[in-house]
Amino acid sequence: MSEIRALIVDDSSVMRKIIERSLRQAGLDALVVHEAGSGVEGLEVLKSNQVDLILSDINMPAMDGLEFLRQIRAQNLAVDAPVVMITTESSEEHVKQAIEAGAKGYIRKPFTAEQVKERVLPLLHAA
Amino acid sequence: MLLNGVRSSVTGGQRGGSRGIAGAENPREGNEDSGSAVTRCEVLGERTMPVSLRESVGQVSDPRNLDASVEEVFRLMLGLECKRVMGAAVMDAESVTAVVGFGGVLSGACLFKSGAGTAMKIAAHMTGMEFSAVDDTVKDGIGEICNMLAGAWKGKVPELAANTGLSVPAVITGHDYKLHVQAPEFQIHHIYRFDDQVFEVTIVCDGLQ
Repeated sequence: MSEIRALIVDDSSVMRKIIERSLRQAGLDALVVHEAGSGVEGLEVLKSNQVDLILSDINMPAMDGLEFLRQIRAQNLAVDAPVVMITTESSEEHVKQAIEAGAKGYIRKPFTAEQVKERVLPLLHAA
Repeated sequence: MLLNGVRSSVTGGQRGGSRGIAGAENPREGNEDSGSAVTRCEVLGERTMPVSLRESVGQVSDPRNLDASVEEVFRLMLGLECKRVMGAAVMDAESVTAVVGFGGVLSGACLFKSGAGTAMKIAAHMTGMEFSAVDDTVKDGIGEICNMLAGAWKGKVPELAANTGLSVPAVITGHDYKLHVQAPEFQIHHIYRFDDQVFEVTIVCDGLQ
């Protein structure tokens, strides 16, 4: 697979590193990672960078992941990049809200690298 | 108790005090006298049928949910087998406590507490790095562990998963400090071990709507 530019949005820097490591374990060796600690920061990154994939937490200060997702769509940012939510929120309602906001995938924390592989790689192949 | 969504650290506290959380020595596990809370409604025909949380409060306060959540988080995120142990936890004088608040149909908090050495070992498993002090990365990692524990625990009961929100974690570090929580509906306080490390996880519930 060619170079993948990913944006990882999570208020935990440790979790951002774990997600990046999981992506590399999934076989995405040629990975360029942008990081953001909130939805607000994520939008700023997208205004100045092209990305192929977005992974976002939901519960974050400043702007949560669902609002971040809505703003991406409203501002026509990263229109071709699939968005995968990675979150502790596991209810059907949260999944439904994420899908309605435009998410293409949903991974519940805690997760394994294998789950990341199974749910992210097909989206990149489809794109 | 509904905690504001802040990720912060506070250093200090009393010296010479007892460890842990006030009231943790006498947890009221599995208490089903938690009021006649009504959490949601289901529409049956043209009538609205209230569904009481009392019907599932035994499940909410089931201590096995906490054990399963702790084992799941440690196995999946750290690759560690973690088991509940009985008795008191002996910790370093310096300790790390993470708090994630619950809000919604259940208000309260999930608390994680360990000694500094255990916190550094957990952070090392998460990041692949070695730590010699409880720095921002260690605090961030412990906060995220507590966040996942809170999410996994509430995810065991569908009514909670759908109708209870989580605050972002607050992390407290210091020596010999005490945490006090007010009159909970129920409290679950367990001690766990991995390798030769121990830590405490407490669920406090001070309100059911």
